[in-house]
Amino acid sequence: CQDDLDQTPIDPDSFTEQNVFASPDEAKGALAKLYASLALTGQEGPSGQADISGIDEGTSQFSRMLFSLNELTTDNAVVGWGDPGLPNLHEMNWDANNDFTTAMYYRLAQEVSFCNSFIENAQSLADDAEVGYYIAEARFLRAFAYYNLIDLYGNVPLVTVVSTELPEQSRRSETFDFVESELLEIQDLLKDSQSNEYGRVDRVAAWALLSKLYLNAKVWTDQDKYTDAVTYANKVLGSSYSINTNDTNGNGTAYDELFLADNDTNGAQNEFIFALNFDGNQSRTYGGTTFLVHAAVGGTMEASDFGVNGGWSGLRTTSALVEKFDASATDFDSDGHPVQWADMRAMFHADGQNYDINTIANTFTDGYAVTKFKNVDAQGNAGSDAGGEFVDSDLPIIRLADIYLVYAEAVLRGGSGGDINTAASYINELRQRAYGSTAGNISAADLTLNFVLDERARELFWEGQRRTDLVRYGLFTSNSYVWPFKGGVKNGTAVDSYRDLFPLPANIISINSNLTQNTGY
Amino acid sequence: QQKVSGTVTDAASGIPIMGANVIVKGSTIGTTTDFDGNYQIEADNGAILQFSYLGFESVEMMVNGGTLNVVMSEDAQQLEEVVVIGYGTVKKKDATGAVDMVSSEDFNQGPVLSAQQLIQGKVAGVSITSGGGAPGEGQNIVIRGQGSLSLTSEPLYVVDGIPLDNEGVGGSRNPLNFINPNDIESMTVLKDASSTAIYGARAANGVVMITTKKGKGKEFRFNYSGSTTYYDPTDYVDVLDADRYRNLVNQIGDESAIDRLGNSNTDWQDEIYTQAVGFNHNFSTTGNIGGFIPVRASLGYTDQNGILKGDNFSRTTGAVNFRPNLLDGHLKIELNGRGMYTENSFANRDAIGASVDFDPTQSVYDMNSPFANYYTWLNADGVQNNLAPTNPVALVNLKEDTAEVRRFIGNAKVDYRLHFFPDLIATVNVGLDKSNSHGRTIVSELMPSSQLDWNGSLSNYTNESTSKLFDAYATYMKEFGKSNLTAVAGYSYQSFENDNFKYDSEAEEDGNDFEFIDKWKSVLLSYFGRVNYNFDDKYLLTATLRADASSKLNPDDRWGYFPSFAFAWNMNNESFLKDSNTIDNLKLRLGYGEIGNVNGLGDYNFLTRYNGSQSTANYQLGTGFYQTYRPEAFNGNLKWEVGKTFNAGVDFGIFDSRISGSLNVYYKNTEDLISKVTVDPFTNFSNTIDKNIGDMVNKGVEMELNLVPVTTEDLHWSIGYNISFNDNEITNLPDQVEVGDINGGTGNKIQLHKEGYAPYSYWVYKQVYDQQGRPIEGAYVDRNGDNKINNEDRYLYQDPYADIIMGLNTNLNYKNWDLAIVTRANLGNYAYNNMASSKSYEVRATENNILTNLHSDYFNTGFKSITESNLASDYYIQDASFFKVDNITLGYTLPEFAGNTSLRVYGSVQNLLTLTDYDGLDPEIKGGIDNNFYPRPRSFVFGVNLDF
Repeated sequence: CQDDLDQTPIDPDSFTEQNVFASPDEAKGALAKLYASLALTGQEGPSGQADISGIDEGTSQFSRMLFSLNELTTDNAVVGWGDPGLPNLHEMNWDANNDFTTAMYYRLAQEVSFCNSFIENAQSLADDAEVGYYIAEARFLRAFAYYNLIDLYGNVPLVTVVSTELPEQSRRSETFDFVESELLEIQDLLKDSQSNEYGRVDRVAAWALLSKLYLNAKVWTDQDKYTDAVTYANKVLGSSYSINTNDTNGNGTAYDELFLADNDTNGAQNEFIFALNFDGNQSRTYGGTTFLVHAAVGGTMEASDFGVNGGWSGLRTTSALVEKFDASATDFDSDGHPVQWADMRAMFHADGQNYDINTIANTFTDGYAVTKFKNVDAQGNAGSDAGGEFVDSDLPIIRLADIYLVYAEAVLRGGSGGDINTAASYINELRQRAYGSTAGNISAADLTLNFVLDERARELFWEGQRRTDLVRYGLFTSNSYVWPFKGGVKNGTAVDSYRDLFPLPANIISINSNLTQNTGY
Repeated sequence: QQKVSGTVTDAASGIPIMGANVIVKGSTIGTTTDFDGNYQIEADNGAILQFSYLGFESVEMMVNGGTLNVVMSEDAQQLEEVVVIGYGTVKKKDATGAVDMVSSEDFNQGPVLSAQQLIQGKVAGVSITSGGGAPGEGQNIVIRGQGSLSLTSEPLYVVDGIPLDNEGVGGSRNPLNFINPNDIESMTVLKDASSTAIYGARAANGVVMITTKKGKGKEFRFNYSGSTTYYDPTDYVDVLDADRYRNLVNQIGDESAIDRLGNSNTDWQDEIYTQAVGFNHNFSTTGNIGGFIPVRASLGYTDQNGILKGDNFSRTTGAVNFRPNLLDGHLKIELNGRGMYTENSFANRDAIGASVDFDPTQSVYDMNSPFANYYTWLNADGVQNNLAPTNPVALVNLKEDTAEVRRFIGNAKVDYRLHFFPDLIATVNVGLDKSNSHGRTIVSELMPSSQLDWNGSLSNYTNESTSKLFDAYATYMKEFGKSNLTAVAGYSYQSFENDNFKYDSEAEEDGNDFEFIDKWKSVLLSYFGRVNYNFDDKYLLTATLRADASSKLNPDDRWGYFPSFAFAWNMNNESFLKDSNTIDNLKLRLGYGEIGNVNGLGDYNFLTRYNGSQSTANYQLGTGFYQTYRPEAFNGNLKWEVGKTFNAGVDFGIFDSRISGSLNVYYKNTEDLISKVTVDPFTNFSNTIDKNIGDMVNKGVEMELNLVPVTTEDLHWSIGYNISFNDNEITNLPDQVEVGDINGGTGNKIQLHKEGYAPYSYWVYKQVYDQQGRPIEGAYVDRNGDNKINNEDRYLYQDPYADIIMGLNTNLNYKNWDLAIVTRANLGNYAYNNMASSKSYEVRATENNILTNLHSDYFNTGFKSITESNLASDYYIQDASFFKVDNITLGYTLPEFAGNTSLRVYGSVQNLLTLTDYDGLDPEIKGGIDNNFYPRPRSFVFGVNLDF
């Protein structure tokens, strides 16, 4: 009977290392998890067997937290819910116990551990060519996790093997170097441009991430790497990826197709260098695009226009974002606030909404609503979940338009290998798509750094970029740029500059004495 | 010497007594009586023969000739004084630990459906709280405060020697539902480590030993008891009525909100609750087959409705017990079989919250509603607004949630007293506990829903759990002069296996996996030994050692060794007290013991495992969707959580035990406390793991006092009082752990485990009040003075567990009348009024394009919006101390109703009265968070008991 003490799992959903890494085909399920852990939240979908505990499961989804940390903290978005730690984000008074800053750290650190474990275990199958690509992709995802960690938290532990030993803290520049060297190394180990399956990255993703890394190098490491940014942006621009120009729903612009339910097939996929895949039936989460669609619907908006069964009455935007489109405003309400724009990226719902925000908490009708993300296809059909709950639309994390803007900014910041006229032509390509005509085109002379920042807001709002952009421009915490309720004050106010970085989680600091908290927290 | 023979018979029935011991006094010569009560022994004339039999008064008679017939009578007192301990029994006067036995005559009466209710309020230091007022609802027993953080704090239940798996049974409301309370002879609570140590690993939170009734007597006797219970809802959550709500919306709402008001006056809570009835029938017989097989058999049937519409619990139980006594009493066999079949119909509890939320100006029905004419908040697509509450009446009427549970517990126990070495008894006990449930949930396609493709749903499940037990032990008993030694040594093996299945029709329609299987198994293996030494009935010593190994722990840390020692001094047997007319009993007790715990810990934590995703969490690569494999969090270093308890006590009885009682003080230090704590995800595959991390101290004093103010032939009056003080503190926890999920927002929590505080302490902001004493919205004390209000300003304030628990009960018998009153009080327990905190803010009334009712506390606060900090205001932490009159029962007995038949009729009121300052529905809330609580009804019982 003593032997009976050696029990092993008998559940059919439980597997051992030998099962999972028995063959390249099986190991693909472990690779899928490395992608899925950025898109989904657990093993049941939409909730159950969560990856992260201690926080609402839907809230713990990577891109939802990226929205929370990089959009809600800025002029782009506010939310009316009273979830723990959530109101603090727009008020910019989060602390080291904040649920969102904490859970994002968990999510990214866990992704690093998943990747480390995968890379180690997959070595046994590495003589298979496909497994070689798996490993390179796992290294990309690990680098991507660290890219976010250094952006959000600065100095974090650099861990590349699975170990229960408490890690040492690495300097931000060391981790930067690691991300750089990994991406440089795997650019040749990944598949050629667009030769991988949809949803898996190829070498263009490594170049794109490198260009974004170099663009931020000055802030992150105090080293100016704009020339490298131009170099790798150029590699991306020379690849087979292309800006989507298919206006499949015929509304005059091909921009909105990027955020529709069929964006994996309507042409938008050619612009997606790295995207998270969602599916209303098979990849369910309360984060991702399900969150972006539902949470933005409320007031007089009709949920069916968005392909869902109802709104969550949460997300709105501030007048500071709406103002960015003032130049193209074509119609105004009786108070003189714009309600229509020639730039069709201005996807706002003004009916029944107040232009200015007086109350954030529990009041959906203050601030314009945003209609960018939808769960309908080009023909207006709702997505695959007949219940209208879960959304099909994929979410671009890096898309080519972003790299156009990286190129322009790097050139303007003095990077060599590019020129201002080419930059202007790239920007005009985006604006032409936005206006459906050349009416919004600019000249090279109009192209300034501030113009690029505003253009990034217009092109990329709600795509998880804004805080990083404002930090790079030195505007996130400063007095030089304020927006409604910045710092918790209606007209906006500066906050301490230490808030350019988020705190490391207080409870991680308390269990690992090797770690030093970021200044100010 | 000559042969002496005779028959030993029972004075009451004249039936021969089998297995009585006959000893020639002052010698080692002895024998036992046979099936017919006959014995034969060699003894001189003038020698004294001692006759003894468990439960009977011993008799000594002088030999005078060859025949000596003896009549023995039952010793009621002595019967009571035998208490059950692990793997044996001990006379109460020889017990060394903190052990409390409640026998059937002291059980609570009235509508008792579960074993736990029998002793509610009767034992010091034992807190029994029901989850709510549903029929057959689970009852939570906590002995001497919370014992663990992540693991279960429930005691171990042992029924007739079989330790139960307390993981619970799917589709069942209460793990002890399988046992008919009428079949229980006694319940014994082992509270301190020196008495629980023999159960080792699972006894960290105490042991509740349940002994069932056994066959006795020669002739068959029969008993029928039956009762009818009537349940009445007593109170509802305090919400705005239609007129007040209408006024409010007219004041604060915009035009569209005012337009949404209806013309009705609906009390939604009144619509979903109802008066209910229940029936209870029990039939039992006890007797003897063939003169040597005592037998008891019983059948019970209970059918009870709940006050929430659609709630029903029905249970059929059957139990049979045989105790053949063979080979001149050398071989005792005990066979127990117990079967249960319950049918549960679970009312839809979502209606509880919805009935508080739903707009009282709307009527229940609306001819335009596509959902079976139930009034529904529709959106433009003609489906229910996804943020609206669902019509409560539709909720209770259109969902069917039923389950049948079958459970069998049986054991065969064989005691063999060795022929060649009669001091030694070898025992083998084999047990099986098997349960199996089938349940299904059917939601009608007419149920209001926001799903666009809603066409109803069906899911069903089966749970099967099997626990197997094998015990083998030997008991050695020997008297040497004034010394008396009992030693037990043995081996125990128990396995627990679970196999669950679930089917989901909606998943099938979506083309997803629709059948789910969940399985696990664990094994517990143990060796144990105990020595009881008694010198001159004055000095008692007990030493126990148990070694346990659990398959839940990694092979290197799997074994735990748990010793205990106890000493007791029967002072009343000392010469200086022996002749005292005042003091009949005075015993001092001292004990120390260590107990392990892994109850409730997950399996296989030390292995590297991968968890495969379900098909709704697959991931798209290319055109295919892949099942993903996630490496699971692991902890290879988990070991036993160990509780070390000191206990000191005194038992006393004075004035012919007219006043008796006991006093215990204890100090329990739980080390290597297993808690779910943060782990750095850079070093593992999750952000939390179960880890041996902290220490916790429970200390307290408990006292029991029993008084018999009057006892005459016609009148007997007794009073029982118990009081216990418990203080619980986490003494070491590097990480603080947020717990206590609440309603309101997403993911808010209200409690915290933190070093230096009681577990589950409330973690709150200090509310600021205006001059009129009204809380000011959003204003909290800046406790750290940094001019910011954030988490750093939250503090720990009170906890849900009572500092003082008291029970006071009395029994009065006058001639044929009997009256029993049971009352309880808890002092210093605080509750978080989550109904008020999440449902009483102004914006809620008109938000989301619908109307929602408010909790009346809105008029006390005037709060406008719901925020994380409003929810965490200490304003909502309220003193929930209470005094309850649980039960009053009045009965009348006709002893000779018809020949040999006695009849008792009784009436009883349960949950008669609650005195409290708490504002919520009921101050007695398990876990302290008052949210969607199922109200406990007041019940009225009428019953009869026939003995024939």
